[in-house]
Amino acid sequence: MSSIRVTGLRVRHRKTLALDSVDLALGTGVHGLLGPNGAGKTSLIRVLATVAQPSGGRVEIVGQDSTDQRGRAEIRRRLGYLPQEFGYYPGFTVREFVAYVAWLKELPGARVPAAVERAVARVGLADRIDAKIKTLSGGMVRRVGIAQAIVNDPSVLLLDEPTAGLDPEQRVEFRELLRELGASATVVVSTHLVEDVAAACTEVTLLDRGRIAYRGTPEALTALGAASHGPGDHPIERGYTAALRAHRAPRGTEAAR
Amino acid sequence: MTGLLLYARSRALPAALAALAGTAAFALWAAGRLDTYVDPDRRVPIVALAPLLAAAVIGTTLYTASDELDRTAVRPWWPRRLLQLAALTALAAALLPLAVLGHPEVFGPATVIRNVLGCTGLTAAAAVLLGARLSWLPVFGYVTAVYLGSSGARGRAATVWAWPMQPGAQPGAWAAALVAFSVGAALYAVRGARVEGPRG
Repeated sequence: MSSIRVTGLRVRHRKTLALDSVDLALGTGVHGLLGPNGAGKTSLIRVLATVAQPSGGRVEIVGQDSTDQRGRAEIRRRLGYLPQEFGYYPGFTVREFVAYVAWLKELPGARVPAAVERAVARVGLADRIDAKIKTLSGGMVRRVGIAQAIVNDPSVLLLDEPTAGLDPEQRVEFRELLRELGASATVVVSTHLVEDVAAACTEVTLLDRGRIAYRGTPEALTALGAASHGPGDHPIERGYTAALRAHRAPRGTEAAR
Repeated sequence: MTGLLLYARSRALPAALAALAGTAAFALWAAGRLDTYVDPDRRVPIVALAPLLAAAVIGTTLYTASDELDRTAVRPWWPRRLLQLAALTALAAALLPLAVLGHPEVFGPATVIRNVLGCTGLTAAAAVLLGARLSWLPVFGYVTAVYLGSSGARGRAATVWAWPMQPGAQPGAWAAALVAFSVGAALYAVRGARVEGPRG
Protein backbone atom coordinates (compact mmCIF):
# COMPACT_ATOMS: atom_id res chain seq x y z
CA MET A 1 0.00 0.00 0.00
CA SER A 2 1.23 3.49 -0.84
CA SER A 3 1.82 5.92 2.04
CA ILE A 4 2.13 8.79 -0.41
CA ARG A 5 -0.24 9.20 -3.33
CA VAL A 6 0.01 12.31 -5.49
CA THR A 7 -2.33 12.92 -8.41
CA GLY A 8 -2.10 15.72 -10.96
CA LEU A 9 0.00 17.82 -8.59
CA ARG A 10 0.70 21.33 -9.70
CA VAL A 11 2.73 23.90 -7.74
CA ARG A 12 3.16 27.47 -8.87
CA HIS A 13 5.58 30.05 -7.43
CA ARG A 14 4.32 33.40 -8.68
CA LYS A 15 4.68 33.09 -12.46
CA THR A 16 6.84 29.95 -12.42
CA LEU A 17 5.33 26.50 -12.61
CA ALA A 18 7.50 24.47 -10.22
CA LEU A 19 5.59 21.18 -10.61
CA ASP A 20 3.15 20.22 -13.33
CA SER A 21 0.91 17.15 -13.60
CA VAL A 22 2.94 15.05 -11.18
CA ASP A 23 1.50 11.62 -10.39
CA LEU A 24 3.35 9.59 -7.81
CA ALA A 25 2.66 6.66 -5.52
CA LEU A 26 5.31 5.75 -2.94
CA GLY A 27 5.21 2.93 -0.42
CA THR A 28 7.53 1.55 2.23
CA GLY A 29 11.16 1.85 1.24
CA VAL A 30 13.76 4.51 0.48
CA HIS A 31 12.90 6.65 -2.53
CA GLY A 32 15.57 8.82 -4.07
CA LEU A 33 14.46 12.08 -5.61
CA LEU A 34 16.97 13.24 -8.18
CA GLY A 35 17.05 16.12 -10.62
CA PRO A 36 18.97 19.21 -11.63
CA ASN A 37 18.68 22.51 -9.73
CA GLY A 38 15.21 23.99 -10.16
CA ALA A 39 13.69 20.65 -11.18
CA GLY A 40 11.06 20.90 -8.43
CA LYS A 41 12.51 18.51 -5.82
CA THR A 42 12.23 20.92 -2.90
CA SER A 43 8.79 22.07 -4.06
CA LEU A 44 7.60 18.47 -4.04
CA ILE A 45 9.12 17.76 -0.62
CA ARG A 46 7.55 20.94 0.84
CA VAL A 47 4.12 20.02 -0.48
CA LEU A 48 4.47 16.50 0.93
CA ALA A 49 5.57 18.03 4.25
CA THR A 50 2.35 20.13 4.24
CA VAL A 51 4.30 23.37 4.56
CA ALA A 52 3.41 24.51 1.02
CA GLN A 53 0.01 24.41 -0.63
CA PRO A 54 -0.39 22.88 -4.08
CA SER A 55 -2.01 25.01 -6.79
CA GLY A 56 -3.82 21.96 -8.10
CA GLY A 57 -4.13 18.20 -7.81
CA ARG A 58 -4.52 15.93 -4.81
CA VAL A 59 -2.02 14.86 -2.17
CA GLU A 60 -2.79 11.93 0.11
CA ILE A 61 -0.37 10.90 2.80
CA VAL A 62 -0.92 7.98 5.18
CA GLY A 63 -4.43 7.81 3.73
CA GLN A 64 -5.27 11.44 4.66
CA ASP A 65 -6.04 14.31 2.34
CA SER A 66 -3.47 17.05 2.97
CA THR A 67 -5.98 19.85 2.21
CA ASP A 68 -8.31 18.71 4.98
CA GLN A 69 -7.47 20.29 8.35
CA ARG A 70 -7.98 17.13 10.40
CA GLY A 71 -6.21 15.06 7.80
CA ARG A 72 -3.29 17.47 7.85
CA ALA A 73 -2.98 17.18 11.64
CA GLU A 74 -2.86 13.39 11.37
CA ILE A 75 -0.28 13.58 8.58
CA ARG A 76 1.92 15.91 10.64
CA ARG A 77 1.74 13.63 13.65
CA ARG A 78 3.18 10.78 11.54
CA LEU A 79 5.58 12.82 9.45
CA GLY A 80 9.29 13.52 9.79
CA TYR A 81 10.79 16.38 7.82
CA LEU A 82 14.31 17.67 7.33
CA PRO A 83 14.30 20.89 5.27
CA GLN A 84 17.39 22.06 3.43
CA GLU A 85 17.90 24.70 6.13
CA PHE A 86 16.01 23.87 9.28
CA GLY A 87 17.05 26.72 11.56
CA TYR A 88 17.60 26.25 15.28
CA TYR A 89 17.58 28.27 18.46
CA PRO A 90 21.15 29.16 19.47
CA GLY A 91 20.51 28.66 23.18
CA PHE A 92 19.14 25.16 22.75
CA THR A 93 21.06 21.99 23.38
CA VAL A 94 20.64 19.01 21.04
CA ARG A 95 18.31 17.39 23.58
CA GLU A 96 16.20 20.54 23.93
CA PHE A 97 15.86 21.12 20.20
CA VAL A 98 14.82 17.55 19.44
CA ALA A 99 12.40 17.67 22.41
CA TYR A 100 10.96 20.92 21.03
CA VAL A 101 10.18 19.19 17.72
CA ALA A 102 8.71 16.22 19.62
CA TRP A 103 6.42 18.72 21.32
CA LEU A 104 5.42 20.18 17.93
CA LYS A 105 4.54 16.63 16.87
CA GLU A 106 2.48 16.20 20.06
CA LEU A 107 4.39 13.18 21.23
CA PRO A 108 3.02 12.24 24.69
CA GLY A 109 5.15 14.00 27.32
CA ALA A 110 6.10 10.78 29.12
CA ARG A 111 7.57 9.33 25.93
CA VAL A 112 9.58 12.39 24.92
CA PRO A 113 12.81 11.90 26.96
CA ALA A 114 13.33 8.32 25.72
CA ALA A 115 12.32 9.20 22.13
CA VAL A 116 14.79 12.10 22.11
CA GLU A 117 17.67 10.00 23.42
CA ARG A 118 16.94 7.23 20.91
CA ALA A 119 16.75 9.61 17.96
CA VAL A 120 19.99 11.35 18.94
CA ALA A 121 21.75 8.01 19.46
CA ARG A 122 20.62 6.81 16.02
CA VAL A 123 22.46 9.71 14.38
CA GLY A 124 25.57 9.08 16.47
CA LEU A 125 25.37 12.16 18.67
CA ALA A 126 24.65 10.52 22.03
CA ASP A 127 27.86 11.92 23.50
CA ARG A 128 26.89 15.48 22.44
CA ILE A 129 23.26 15.39 23.48
CA ASP A 130 23.71 18.13 26.08
CA ALA A 131 25.95 20.32 23.93
CA LYS A 132 24.59 23.62 22.61
CA ILE A 133 23.83 23.25 18.90
CA LYS A 134 25.77 26.42 18.11
CA THR A 135 28.96 24.70 19.32
CA LEU A 136 28.61 21.79 16.86
CA SER A 137 30.21 21.42 13.43
CA GLY A 138 28.12 21.71 10.25
CA GLY A 139 27.94 17.94 9.82
CA MET A 140 26.82 17.47 13.43
CA VAL A 141 24.13 20.15 13.03
CA ARG A 142 22.89 18.26 9.97
CA ARG A 143 22.70 15.11 12.08
CA VAL A 144 20.69 17.02 14.70
CA GLY A 145 18.33 17.85 11.83
CA ILE A 146 18.01 14.16 11.01
CA ALA A 147 17.43 13.35 14.70
CA GLN A 148 14.53 15.81 14.97
CA ALA A 149 13.03 14.30 11.81
CA ILE A 150 12.95 10.78 13.27
CA VAL A 151 12.06 11.59 16.88
CA ASN A 152 8.41 10.58 16.36
CA ASP A 153 9.26 7.33 14.51
CA PRO A 154 7.54 8.70 11.42
CA SER A 155 5.58 6.63 8.91
CA VAL A 156 6.69 9.09 6.24
CA LEU A 157 10.12 10.67 6.38
CA LEU A 158 11.05 13.51 4.02
CA LEU A 159 14.71 14.48 3.81
CA ASP A 160 15.85 17.37 1.66
CA GLU A 161 19.60 17.16 0.96
CA PRO A 162 20.29 15.22 4.18
CA THR A 163 23.92 14.41 3.39
CA ALA A 164 25.02 17.99 2.68
CA GLY A 165 27.93 18.73 5.02
CA LEU A 166 28.47 15.11 6.10
CA ASP A 167 31.93 13.62 5.68
CA PRO A 168 32.31 10.29 3.79
CA GLU A 169 32.24 8.15 6.94
CA GLN A 170 29.13 9.94 8.21
CA ARG A 171 27.48 9.47 4.81
CA VAL A 172 28.13 5.74 4.90
CA GLU A 173 26.61 5.58 8.41
CA PHE A 174 23.69 7.69 7.26
CA ARG A 175 22.98 5.33 4.37
CA GLU A 176 22.81 2.48 6.88
CA LEU A 177 20.34 4.47 8.92
CA LEU A 178 18.30 5.15 5.76
CA ARG A 179 18.12 1.45 4.95
CA GLU A 180 17.04 0.73 8.52
CA LEU A 181 14.34 3.42 8.43
CA GLY A 182 13.17 2.34 4.98
CA ALA A 183 12.35 -1.14 6.27
CA SER A 184 9.27 0.17 8.06
CA ALA A 185 8.63 3.69 6.74
CA THR A 186 8.28 5.54 3.46
CA VAL A 187 11.46 7.59 3.18
CA VAL A 188 11.87 10.21 0.47
CA VAL A 189 15.39 11.58 0.02
CA SER A 190 16.00 14.55 -2.23
CA THR A 191 19.65 14.69 -3.23
CA HIS A 192 22.17 15.66 -5.87
CA LEU A 193 24.41 12.75 -4.93
CA VAL A 194 23.52 9.85 -7.19
CA GLU A 195 25.93 7.55 -5.33
CA ASP A 196 23.74 7.93 -2.20
CA VAL A 197 20.78 6.84 -4.29
CA ALA A 198 22.66 3.87 -5.70
CA ALA A 199 23.75 2.77 -2.25
CA ALA A 200 20.65 3.32 -0.15
CA CYS A 201 17.50 3.70 -2.25
CA THR A 202 15.02 1.09 -3.38
CA GLU A 203 13.47 3.36 -6.02
CA VAL A 204 14.45 6.46 -7.93
CA THR A 205 12.30 9.30 -9.22
CA LEU A 206 13.99 11.77 -11.51
CA LEU A 207 12.41 15.20 -11.83
CA ASP A 208 13.12 17.68 -14.58
CA ARG A 209 11.47 21.07 -15.10
CA GLY A 210 8.61 20.20 -12.79
CA ARG A 211 7.76 16.84 -14.36
CA ILE A 212 8.70 13.27 -13.69
CA ALA A 213 11.41 12.33 -16.17
CA TYR A 214 12.11 8.80 -14.98
CA ARG A 215 10.95 6.25 -12.40
CA GLY A 216 12.61 2.95 -11.68
CA THR A 217 15.08 1.19 -9.46
CA PRO A 218 18.69 2.31 -8.97
CA GLU A 219 19.72 -0.91 -10.72
CA ALA A 220 17.60 -0.03 -13.78
CA LEU A 221 19.07 3.48 -13.84
CA THR A 222 22.56 1.99 -13.59
CA ALA A 223 21.76 -0.41 -16.43
CA LEU A 224 20.53 2.53 -18.50
CA GLY A 225 23.91 4.18 -17.89
CA ALA A 226 25.82 1.05 -18.80
CA ALA A 227 24.04 0.97 -22.15
CA SER A 228 24.64 4.65 -22.90
CA HIS A 229 27.81 6.53 -23.75
CA GLY A 230 26.86 9.77 -22.07
CA PRO A 231 29.01 11.75 -19.60
CA GLY A 232 29.59 10.47 -16.07
CA ASP A 233 32.21 8.62 -14.02
CA HIS A 234 29.85 5.97 -12.70
CA PRO A 235 27.19 3.96 -14.57
CA ILE A 236 24.40 5.47 -12.42
CA GLU A 237 25.65 8.97 -13.24
CA ARG A 238 25.55 8.05 -16.93
CA GLY A 239 22.08 6.60 -16.36
CA TYR A 240 20.98 9.85 -14.72
CA THR A 241 22.23 11.86 -17.69
CA ALA A 242 20.76 9.44 -20.22
CA ALA A 243 17.34 9.51 -18.53
CA LEU A 244 17.36 13.32 -18.41
CA ARG A 245 18.34 13.60 -22.09
CA ALA A 246 15.73 11.05 -23.11
CA HIS A 247 13.09 13.06 -21.26
CA ARG A 248 14.19 16.30 -22.90
CA ALA A 249 14.47 14.82 -26.38
CA PRO A 250 11.48 15.21 -28.72
CA ARG A 251 9.07 12.28 -28.30
CA GLY A 252 9.87 9.24 -30.40
CA THR A 253 13.58 9.91 -30.77
CA GLU A 254 14.69 8.06 -27.66
CA ALA A 255 13.05 5.90 -25.06
CA ALA A 256 14.49 5.86 -21.59
CA ARG A 257 11.78 4.09 -19.60
CA MET B 1 11.46 20.10 30.48
CA THR B 2 7.98 20.66 29.12
CA GLY B 3 7.26 21.65 25.56
CA LEU B 4 5.69 24.93 26.63
CA LEU B 5 8.83 25.93 28.49
CA LEU B 6 10.91 25.12 25.39
CA TYR B 7 8.49 27.16 23.33
CA ALA B 8 8.91 30.10 25.73
CA ARG B 9 12.68 29.85 25.50
CA SER B 10 12.59 29.52 21.71
CA ARG B 11 10.82 32.90 21.59
CA ALA B 12 13.25 34.43 24.11
CA LEU B 13 10.36 35.09 26.49
CA PRO B 14 12.46 35.02 29.70
CA ALA B 15 14.73 37.75 28.31
CA ALA B 16 11.70 39.70 27.08
CA LEU B 17 10.06 39.57 30.52
CA ALA B 18 13.24 40.89 32.07
CA ALA B 19 13.45 43.63 29.43
CA LEU B 20 9.83 44.67 30.04
CA ALA B 21 10.49 44.86 33.77
CA GLY B 22 13.61 46.92 33.02
CA THR B 23 11.60 49.25 30.77
CA ALA B 24 9.03 49.76 33.52
CA ALA B 25 11.78 50.47 36.06
CA PHE B 26 13.42 52.93 33.67
CA ALA B 27 10.09 54.71 33.11
CA LEU B 28 9.61 54.96 36.89
CA TRP B 29 13.09 56.37 37.32
CA ALA B 30 12.59 58.84 34.44
CA ALA B 31 9.28 60.02 35.91
CA GLY B 32 11.07 60.88 39.14
CA ARG B 33 13.89 62.69 37.31
CA LEU B 34 11.43 64.76 35.25
CA ASP B 35 9.42 65.83 38.33
CA THR B 36 6.21 64.77 36.60
CA TYR B 37 4.24 65.21 39.83
CA VAL B 38 4.64 68.99 39.35
CA ASP B 39 3.08 69.09 35.89
CA PRO B 40 1.42 66.11 34.08
CA ASP B 41 2.56 67.54 30.72
CA ARG B 42 6.13 66.60 31.68
CA ARG B 43 5.04 62.99 31.35
CA VAL B 44 4.81 63.25 27.55
CA PRO B 45 8.27 61.73 26.85
CA ILE B 46 7.43 58.80 29.13
CA VAL B 47 3.94 58.08 27.77
CA ALA B 48 5.29 58.25 24.21
CA LEU B 49 8.63 56.47 24.52
CA ALA B 50 8.12 53.79 27.20
CA PRO B 51 5.37 52.00 25.20
CA LEU B 52 7.60 52.28 22.15
CA LEU B 53 10.43 50.47 23.97
CA ALA B 54 8.02 47.84 25.29
CA ALA B 55 6.64 47.23 21.80
CA ALA B 56 10.18 46.79 20.45
CA VAL B 57 10.85 44.20 23.17
CA ILE B 58 7.63 42.37 22.31
CA GLY B 59 8.61 42.50 18.63
CA THR B 60 11.80 40.55 19.32
CA THR B 61 9.74 37.64 20.66
CA LEU B 62 7.90 37.27 17.36
CA TYR B 63 11.03 35.90 15.66
CA THR B 64 11.04 32.22 14.73
CA ALA B 65 14.36 30.56 13.91
CA SER B 66 12.87 27.27 12.75
CA ASP B 67 9.93 28.53 10.72
CA GLU B 68 9.96 25.63 8.27
CA LEU B 69 9.80 23.03 11.05
CA ASP B 70 7.27 25.04 13.03
CA ARG B 71 4.94 24.84 10.05
CA THR B 72 4.75 21.08 10.52
CA ALA B 73 3.32 21.45 14.03
CA VAL B 74 0.22 19.34 14.59
CA ARG B 75 -1.74 22.17 16.23
CA PRO B 76 -2.59 25.40 14.43
CA TRP B 77 -0.32 28.26 15.42
CA TRP B 78 -2.78 31.13 15.64
CA PRO B 79 -3.97 30.50 19.24
CA ARG B 80 -0.37 30.35 20.54
CA ARG B 81 0.65 33.44 18.64
CA LEU B 82 -2.38 35.39 19.82
CA LEU B 83 -1.91 34.28 23.41
CA GLN B 84 1.78 35.22 23.40
CA LEU B 85 1.12 38.68 21.93
CA ALA B 86 -1.86 39.37 24.19
CA ALA B 87 -0.06 38.21 27.34
CA LEU B 88 3.03 40.34 26.71
CA THR B 89 0.89 43.36 25.78
CA ALA B 90 -1.16 42.92 28.95
CA LEU B 91 2.00 42.70 31.04
CA ALA B 92 3.43 45.87 29.48
CA ALA B 93 0.06 47.60 29.95
CA ALA B 94 0.07 46.60 33.62
CA LEU B 95 3.69 47.58 34.40
CA LEU B 96 4.30 50.81 32.50
CA PRO B 97 1.40 52.88 33.95
CA LEU B 98 3.01 52.59 37.39
CA ALA B 99 5.35 55.39 36.31
CA VAL B 100 2.51 57.83 35.61
CA LEU B 101 -0.19 57.17 38.20
CA GLY B 102 -2.87 59.84 38.63
CA HIS B 103 -4.19 62.48 36.22
CA PRO B 104 -6.07 59.97 34.04
CA GLU B 105 -7.71 62.72 31.95
CA VAL B 106 -4.35 63.95 30.57
CA PHE B 107 -1.13 61.94 30.40
CA GLY B 108 -1.86 59.24 32.93
CA PRO B 109 -2.16 55.44 32.99
CA ALA B 110 -4.87 55.38 30.29
CA THR B 111 -2.55 57.15 27.86
CA VAL B 112 0.21 54.63 28.45
CA ILE B 113 -2.15 51.67 28.05
CA ARG B 114 -3.50 53.13 24.81
CA ASN B 115 -0.01 53.70 23.47
CA VAL B 116 1.11 50.19 24.44
CA LEU B 117 -1.81 48.80 22.45
CA GLY B 118 -1.16 51.02 19.41
CA CYS B 119 2.61 50.53 19.35
CA THR B 120 2.36 46.76 19.84
CA GLY B 121 -0.23 46.48 17.08
CA LEU B 122 1.97 48.37 14.64
CA THR B 123 4.98 46.28 15.67
CA ALA B 124 3.07 43.02 15.12
CA ALA B 125 1.92 44.18 11.68
CA ALA B 126 5.50 45.16 10.82
CA ALA B 127 6.72 41.71 11.91
CA VAL B 128 4.33 40.16 9.40
CA LEU B 129 5.35 42.49 6.59
CA LEU B 130 9.08 43.02 7.27
CA GLY B 131 10.11 40.28 9.70
CA ALA B 132 10.46 40.36 13.47
CA ARG B 133 14.01 41.74 13.53
CA LEU B 134 12.94 45.00 11.88
CA SER B 135 9.49 45.11 13.44
CA TRP B 136 10.45 47.98 15.75
CA LEU B 137 11.50 50.28 12.91
CA PRO B 138 8.20 51.54 11.40
CA VAL B 139 6.58 52.28 14.75
CA PHE B 140 9.77 53.91 15.97
CA GLY B 141 9.80 56.17 12.92
CA TYR B 142 6.09 56.97 13.23
CA VAL B 143 6.08 57.76 16.95
CA THR B 144 9.28 59.80 16.65
CA ALA B 145 7.81 61.81 13.77
CA VAL B 146 4.58 62.42 15.68
CA TYR B 147 6.53 63.31 18.83
CA LEU B 148 8.61 65.88 16.99
CA GLY B 149 5.99 67.20 14.57
CA SER B 150 2.58 67.16 16.19
CA SER B 151 2.92 69.95 18.75
CA GLY B 152 1.06 72.47 16.58
CA ALA B 153 -1.43 70.02 15.11
CA ARG B 154 -5.09 70.73 15.86
CA GLY B 155 -8.44 69.37 14.72
CA ARG B 156 -10.25 66.04 14.74
CA ALA B 157 -7.91 64.39 12.22
CA ALA B 158 -4.91 65.19 14.41
CA THR B 159 -6.46 63.32 17.33
CA VAL B 160 -6.35 60.23 15.14
CA TRP B 161 -3.01 60.40 13.30
CA ALA B 162 -1.20 61.88 16.29
CA TRP B 163 -2.69 59.32 18.69
CA PRO B 164 0.56 58.65 20.59
CA MET B 165 0.64 62.28 21.77
CA GLN B 166 -3.02 62.73 22.70
CA PRO B 167 -4.36 62.96 26.25
CA GLY B 168 -5.86 59.79 27.68
CA ALA B 169 -9.50 60.88 27.34
CA GLN B 170 -9.31 61.49 23.57
CA PRO B 171 -11.71 59.01 21.83
CA GLY B 172 -10.18 59.43 18.36
CA ALA B 173 -6.74 58.44 19.65
CA TRP B 174 -8.17 55.39 21.42
CA ALA B 175 -9.98 54.32 18.26
CA ALA B 176 -6.76 54.60 16.22
CA ALA B 177 -4.74 52.62 18.79
CA LEU B 178 -7.39 49.92 19.13
CA VAL B 179 -7.64 49.53 15.35
CA ALA B 180 -3.83 49.29 15.13
CA PHE B 181 -3.74 46.60 17.82
CA SER B 182 -6.66 44.62 16.39
CA VAL B 183 -5.30 44.61 12.85
CA GLY B 184 -1.70 43.91 13.92
CA ALA B 185 -2.66 41.12 16.31
CA ALA B 186 -5.01 39.48 13.78
CA LEU B 187 -2.41 39.68 11.02
CA TYR B 188 0.30 38.22 13.23
CA ALA B 189 -1.94 35.46 14.59
CA VAL B 190 -2.94 34.33 11.12
CA ARG B 191 0.31 34.78 9.19
CA GLY B 192 3.10 34.79 11.76
CA ALA B 193 6.26 36.82 11.33
CA ARG B 194 7.79 36.99 7.88
CA VAL B 195 10.54 34.45 7.29
CA GLU B 196 13.98 36.04 7.48
CA GLY B 197 17.30 34.96 6.04
CA PRO B 198 17.71 31.50 4.57
CA ARG B 199 14.59 29.41 4.77
CA GLY B 200 14.77 27.50 7.97
